[in-house]
Amino acid sequence: MITFENIDVVYPNGFKGLSNVNLQIDKGEFVAIVGLSGAGKSTLIRTVNGLVPFTSGTLKVGDEVVDPRSKAKLRRLRSRVGMIFQSFNLVTRVSVLNNVLVGRSAETPTWRSLLGWYRAEDKELAFKSLERVGIVDKAYMRASSLSGGQQQRVAIARVLAQDPEVILADEPVASLDPPTAHKVMRDLRRIQQELGITTIVNMHHLDLARSYADRIIGMRAGEVVFDGPVEEATDAVIEEVYQRSLTAEDIVAGDAAAESSAAGDAAARDSATEGAVTERSVPAAKAQD
Amino acid sequence: MTTTADEATRGSATRAVTARPEAPKPSGLVYLGLAGLAVLAFIIFWVTRDSGEILLIPLGFVTLWAPLYPVIGLAVMLLTLLVCYRARVGTMGGFGALAFITMSYWAGSTVNFTLLEIPSRWSNVEPRLRAFLDPNWSYIWTVRDQWLITISMAVVATLIGCAIGLVLAMLASPVSSPNKGVSQAIKAVNSVIRSIPDVGWALLFVAFIGGTAHGLGPMAGVLALLMFNIGIVAKLLSETIDSVNPGPVEAADAAGANLTQRNRLAILPQVLPGFVSYGLYVFELNIRASAALGIVGVGGIGSAIMLQLNRFAFENVAAILIALIVVVLLVDMFSMYIRRKLL
Repeated sequence: MITFENIDVVYPNGFKGLSNVNLQIDKGEFVAIVGLSGAGKSTLIRTVNGLVPFTSGTLKVGDEVVDPRSKAKLRRLRSRVGMIFQSFNLVTRVSVLNNVLVGRSAETPTWRSLLGWYRAEDKELAFKSLERVGIVDKAYMRASSLSGGQQQRVAIARVLAQDPEVILADEPVASLDPPTAHKVMRDLRRIQQELGITTIVNMHHLDLARSYADRIIGMRAGEVVFDGPVEEATDAVIEEVYQRSLTAEDIVAGDAAAESSAAGDAAARDSATEGAVTERSVPAAKAQD
Repeated sequence: MTTTADEATRGSATRAVTARPEAPKPSGLVYLGLAGLAVLAFIIFWVTRDSGEILLIPLGFVTLWAPLYPVIGLAVMLLTLLVCYRARVGTMGGFGALAFITMSYWAGSTVNFTLLEIPSRWSNVEPRLRAFLDPNWSYIWTVRDQWLITISMAVVATLIGCAIGLVLAMLASPVSSPNKGVSQAIKAVNSVIRSIPDVGWALLFVAFIGGTAHGLGPMAGVLALLMFNIGIVAKLLSETIDSVNPGPVEAADAAGANLTQRNRLAILPQVLPGFVSYGLYVFELNIRASAALGIVGVGGIGSAIMLQLNRFAFENVAAILIALIVVVLLVDMFSMYIRRKLL
C-alpha cells in the first residue's frame, strides 16, 4: 500500500511539481495517471522511489516511511520498487541478460557487480523474468539489436528481477507503435494480475488507461483533480481534467487482438479487483466543480 | 508535347519573376570602422617594426617611401575586408578575418619568423641532410634492445595509466562522482597533472630517482609516461562520461544500485569504446614520446638517438628515425584495426 499525505514537491528552481497530494493506492492495484504534459504525472511517480525528493508531507510505501535524505534507506526502498521508463533506459551495448541483472544490484555484493560474476540464483531469477515476458531466447543478444517493444520487455524483466512490490511505469508505451503499445500494456497487466504487484502507470493515451487500469487518477498543475474507477472516468470527466475537449491524439487506437483481449481483461478486472475500488480521498464529483 | 513544353517555359518564367530574398548587406559603417582598425594596426606595426626594409613608390614628381612589411600587411588586411564585404560576410565574420591576419602578422614578426634565412644557411644544412638521406640500414638492428625497452615502457605506462585514469575520470565527472566536492577536487588534481608536460615529468623523475646514468632510465621513463597518460585519459574519459546517456544511469539508481555498481553497470559499458580508443591513443603517444624523453636521460630508443646525435652520426639517427616512423605506423594500424572491430 502506498500512502501520500499532504505531499508537496517544490523543485530547486521554485517550480511547484506537486501540491498537497493525498492518495492511497492499495496493494495489487493497477492505477493509471492521466493528465497533460507538465501536469505532474512524472513527478508523482518519481516521488514514490525518491528519484524526485518531496519537500513536505508524509509518504509511505508499505510500512516504510520514505525519507528522501537517507541514501541507504532510499536504496533499500528502491530495491522493492521497480521502475519502467519511456525510453527503456537499457545499456544498449551489453547483453539482454546483463541488463536484466542490473535489477539484482541491490541484492548483489559490490565486488560481484564489479567483476560481472553473478550468483547462479540471481541469473536464474533473471532468466525467469525474461521467460515471463517471453524473450528468454534473446538473453545473450545485445540489447541494441532488439526492437522497441522487445527492449521495453527487457526493461520489464529488469524490474521483475528486483522481485518488486511496486512497479512504477513512466509513459512506458509512449515511444511504441499502437500494436506494440497494446502488447506491452497487456504484459504489464498480466504481470500485475499474476504476481499481485501494485502498478502505477503514467500515460497520455486515454483508451489504453481505460482498457488496462483499475483506477484512473487525473492530474492538473500538480494537483490530483480526479480519482476514481475506470467506469467513472467518462469523456466529460477527462475533458474537465485536461481543460480541453478530447482529440484524436488522446487515443492510441488499437489492433483487433488488443480489442478482444482488452474486453477479456475488463472481465477479469471486474472479478479480480471488485471491492478494491472503495472510497477515494478525492471523489469524482470534485473534479466536476 | 508542345503544350507541355510551353507550360514548362511559362512555369519557369513565372518562377523567375518571384523575387529572391537577398543576403542582408553588412553595415558599411562597421566595415569602415574595421578598415580604421586595420590602419591603426598598420601604424603600430610601422612603429614597432624590426626590419629596415623600405618600399619606394615613385610617383614621377615625388617618390614616396614606406616600410615594406607593414605595407604588405595593410594591403592584405584591406583586401580581406573588401572580399568579406563583397561576399556579404557579417560584421563579426569580417572582424574575425581581420583579427586572424593581424594576430598572425604580430606573432610572426615578434619571433622574426621568416623562411628567407634557410637558403643562406644551406651550406650548413646540406651535409647533414645528405647523411640523413643515406641512412645506415645495418644500424637499425643493433638498437633492438632499446626498442624493446621503449615498447615495454609504453605498455606498462599505458596499462597502469589507463587503470588509474579510469578511476580518476569516474571521480572527476559530476555524473559518476560521489558528490560535487570530490568532482571539483579531482578535476583540480587532474589539471595539475596535465599542466606538466611529459618532458617535465621525465626531468622530475630523473632528478628524483636517477636516470640512465644510474641504470634507472626505464624506471624514470615509465613513471613520467604514467603521469602523462593519467592526465590525458582522466581528462578525455571524464568528458566522455559527462555526455553518457543518463537513462540507464537513472534506471540503475531506480533499481537500488549503489554508486560503484551504477558506475560499473550503467556508465562503464557506455564509455568502454572511448576508453579503449584513448588507451590505444596514449600507447601511440608513449612510443613517440619515448624518442624525445631519451634526450633528458630516461631509457629507451630516445637515449640511442641522443647518443648518435652527440657523435654527429646522422646516418645512424636517420636509421632510427625511419624505424620509429615504421613502428608508429604499425601501432597506428593496429589501433585502427582494434577500433574498427570495437565500434
